Amino acid sequence: MNVFHDAANQVEFDSITQWKKEGKPVVGYTCSYAPAEIFHAADILPYRLRGIETDGMEVGDTYFGPFICSFPKCILQLAGKGKFSFLDGAIITPGCDGMRRLDECWRKAGEDINGIVPDYFYYFDVPHKSENHGMAWYVEEIKELIRSIESHFKVKITNDKISAAISEFNKGRRLLAEIENLRTRDDVVVSGTDVFAATVAGTVMPRDEYTKELKKWATALKKRKTSLSKDKHRVMLVGSISDEIDLFELIENTGKAIIVGENLCFGIRYEGNEIKEDGDPVAALAEHYLGASVCPRMYGKYKERLAMLKERIVRSQAQGVIMQNIRFCDLHGAENALFERDLEAMGIPCLRIEREYGPHIDIGRMKMRINAFLERMESSEKRAAASAMSAEVSVSA
Amino acid sequence: MNIVAGFDVGSLTSKAVIMKNGKIIGSHIIKSKPRPKDSADAALAGALADAGISREDIKYCIGTGYGREKIEFVDELVSEIKCHGKGARWMMPTAETVIDIGGQDCKTMRIDKDGNIGRFSTNDKCASGTGRFLEVMAKVLNVDIDELGKLSAKAKDPITLASTCTVWAQADVIKYINSGVPIEDIGAGINTAMAGRVAILVNALKPEGDILMTGGVAKNIGVVSTLEKLIGKRIKRARKADPQIAGAIGAALLSMEKMAS
Amino acid sequence: MRPEIKEYNYDWLMGKTLKAAAHVPMGTKKETELTYRYIPYYKNIAKTFIDAGDPGVQALKMMSRYYENILTAKEQGKKICATTFCNSPVILYAMDIVPVTFEMLTAIGAMIWKRGMFDYMDFCCEVGMPETSCSSQRGALGAILGGLSEKIDLVICDTPGVCDTNANAFAFASEYLNKPFFQLNYPSSIGDDRSQKYHIDDYKEMIKFAEQHTGKKLDYDRLAEALAEVDKQDAMIADLEDMLMLKPTPVPPMFNLVLYAGRFCFSGRREYTELLESMVKSAKANAAAGISGLKNGEEKLRMFMCYIDHYTLDVNFNHFLEDRGIAHVGSILTRNFRDNNKYVEDMPGSAYGIDTSSPDAMLDTIAQMNARLPMVRSIRGPYDKKGMWLEESLVCAKMYDADCVVYNGTPGCRNTWGMVKPFARDMEKHGYPTHIMYDDAFDDRVESWEATRERLDEFFKIRGLL
Repeated sequence: MNVFHDAANQVEFDSITQWKKEGKPVVGYTCSYAPAEIFHAADILPYRLRGIETDGMEVGDTYFGPFICSFPKCILQLAGKGKFSFLDGAIITPGCDGMRRLDECWRKAGEDINGIVPDYFYYFDVPHKSENHGMAWYVEEIKELIRSIESHFKVKITNDKISAAISEFNKGRRLLAEIENLRTRDDVVVSGTDVFAATVAGTVMPRDEYTKELKKWATALKKRKTSLSKDKHRVMLVGSISDEIDLFELIENTGKAIIVGENLCFGIRYEGNEIKEDGDPVAALAEHYLGASVCPRMYGKYKERLAMLKERIVRSQAQGVIMQNIRFCDLHGAENALFERDLEAMGIPCLRIEREYGPHIDIGRMKMRINAFLERMESSEKRAAASAMSAEVSVSA
Repeated sequence: MNIVAGFDVGSLTSKAVIMKNGKIIGSHIIKSKPRPKDSADAALAGALADAGISREDIKYCIGTGYGREKIEFVDELVSEIKCHGKGARWMMPTAETVIDIGGQDCKTMRIDKDGNIGRFSTNDKCASGTGRFLEVMAKVLNVDIDELGKLSAKAKDPITLASTCTVWAQADVIKYINSGVPIEDIGAGINTAMAGRVAILVNALKPEGDILMTGGVAKNIGVVSTLEKLIGKRIKRARKADPQIAGAIGAALLSMEKMAS
Repeated sequence: MRPEIKEYNYDWLMGKTLKAAAHVPMGTKKETELTYRYIPYYKNIAKTFIDAGDPGVQALKMMSRYYENILTAKEQGKKICATTFCNSPVILYAMDIVPVTFEMLTAIGAMIWKRGMFDYMDFCCEVGMPETSCSSQRGALGAILGGLSEKIDLVICDTPGVCDTNANAFAFASEYLNKPFFQLNYPSSIGDDRSQKYHIDDYKEMIKFAEQHTGKKLDYDRLAEALAEVDKQDAMIADLEDMLMLKPTPVPPMFNLVLYAGRFCFSGRREYTELLESMVKSAKANAAAGISGLKNGEEKLRMFMCYIDHYTLDVNFNHFLEDRGIAHVGSILTRNFRDNNKYVEDMPGSAYGIDTSSPDAMLDTIAQMNARLPMVRSIRGPYDKKGMWLEESLVCAKMYDADCVVYNGTPGCRNTWGMVKPFARDMEKHGYPTHIMYDDAFDDRVESWEATRERLDEFFKIRGLL
């Protein structure tokens, strides 16, 4: 487990140093719509860019305007401070407006601060619709990305290599799905914090090493007996992008809650699903990454996302949902309101909070709200139990 | 003797309430000190003096508010929202919606007939919907914070204030003062801006039943009356106790429940 | 929302106000002056338009007509479609669908009403939209979500890929009101065959969607007529653009606003043609006399707005320009990128033409035209890439001989706030004093107009421009 926490809590960690020592490149990417398998197929380490370890914002605020989410600003800040100096490349994706402007802001910061823009800097266009020509566009984008990697890094990415990468990634996906299953049981033996750390680690660690470690951990978890969910509220965490292990800790350290599921940009929502291993591998990647419409940037797919969330709430027996959005994230902010409307109507308590990202997280305020929410869940659970009991009494009478 | 205490150590003020058999026998409000522990000590000392008892007489004590984790002598910590809900219900047993505006945030909540919290929401980060906003503005206007509320009724042509940001609003207020706009009109604009921010939160909660306002800002009649207009509903005033100590009352009531169980 | 606001149908309120305003100048000068005494709240805004002469009066009539169409849509058996300002209404009109453009309606309300659109904007937040989302939709949308407007039947937005907060507002509206939703999605590039094909495919699906939800077929003959009208309108726009380049420009600042407002509301319709005819006539008269379009006759400064204008009460921004002798040489909203404009000469491949020879040619035309509407054209990709915001702004600033460049938007504009700082720096590097306004074009509560004005004055003074 420590290996996952090490990877999830540090921007640069042992495996990366080791990878670089072997003379192999690392390419950063910003968005869950980027097919990491392509890089793996070229023996390049795909590294999901993070915002942790930021301790100021002078670089971020120099290029980004004031009304922008703090996540891309943190990435820029880290880049400006040389924390991503191990990168040989970066690809920017229009996941959202804030994120896509990282392209210009990073390049412009590079005009002022030497050496912070990796040699390979690529803009990867992702459409907002997955039907017909949207999917076709995305497939072409992947093919263009492949050509560009091949030409820059002097490698050959064959279909066989992509298929092998898909199959390697799928191993991890299956293991994460097994762990996800453990979280649905009455007695949950693993904390949400640990599962999330393991998921985040999967976006930055060399995949072979990751699969091996994950297998070990999953085997150990299956033998665990001690329940961590006894007398705790089962909650789900959804909303804006987060790679903050401390956000999970903040909730679970109240001692009153266990996170039994999350639907975040870093997280299980992708990783739990396998990619088709037969047929055209590029088409399979496209179907997986674009086809699922898992986040509100895919407009007009709210009902699909609500259905998915409901299904996961039922499966994980979550009793309440914490919905967060980073300030200026209009997409998740508005969608959270719709989720709240529809889930509360089903009797599922929801907490909707707007917050800052990472180093700016307002711990006092977050704690106050989360505690109050857990107290609210407590009373609603008590009421539910009481009404269930009285129903039983009336039936037996 | 069933004597219990409740603390609400906030960012602007700290409050202590001592209760005996469900009645308040002592309370005290002080301006918060840099260290929460000192604030709690001072508030307690004041409340003890008010009640004419000593610290040893207190059987159970619950703390809430921002500084709650730093108070050493409390037996238990409870969230502010729960305490405010509890206190509000005690102050007005028919209240179903509570608006509490404290120094650093604004909370609105729905409570059921048993005093349980239902949906709630709080404002975000920015100080413009909080007591701090009024405090800063009162300072700029050079009026007492308690006077600020009364300016609304005297205003003839209230200014419209850029309400999104305390810092910018402050600059606007200074500008209005310099250009000779009557202080009543500026004060009214400040109260309206404040009420506007709070109204969004309240309306989002779809208020029902009797609405009670607690927290220090409940004493500002300018804000309260504008807010009533904005939400189209009457806001009731609790006469049983000072609305500013609702959180501390709630904490004391929860202490009593704890003793009883 | 405060209860008294809920007593009125917002569309009706605005529609009747505009209709009355359009009637004011029909009497004698004395009668008009007398009428002003009875409309103290609307006097300033009505006078601003009426004093602009026939073009101003035509503009009032046009806006009144726009509301009239919305208010009578249902009795005429027409469906109402919520759509974005940068989505050309031509196809919708050709299908007998009445467009409701949130941004236009928000701007109108903000300019006319003393209390602004605050109550409606805040209502959107009450039902869950973040307060950080763009005010330009939240105004009109608040009235719609609150059930205070004519009911919309379908939603077609065309900002996915360009502006998240805009697209998000439309997606939210569709979900909240349970109305069918379609998005025209824009890739990050323009002018190449691949993106053009994408636009056409998108358009075909949009037509299918609109036909399905309105029960009406797209009539290509009507579309051809509408495009012929657009062709006529484009020629007049190009005339006005040419005159904007003159020094001093004979085009009054106000013309900018109505030029694009008309295009967003009535492209391809007679109402807009009449407005343009009047504007061209008036500007030509000024040009022939060699005088500035500014009221005091002296052009002291030429300002290029690289993004949008300021739309709060009484068109205060317009008065500000007039008072200081500042010529407005256009904003991102002014330019249409038709191939008969001079500025497109410096941007090869940026323009569209009109071809009505076949249904396919018309679809191609529409797709080309729509791809070049403001915002969706030049801020879709990285701002410093070919054909994007920087190139467009530099070409326009040079072509119109601007003395300075001013950015104005809304805090909701994630898209431009994501890069406006480096953009402004680049403009400065090219020798253009560039000012970033931190206000909200539609909401005076973010920064009061007085503060905004002071900041602008400060900029002009410090940079030695005025």
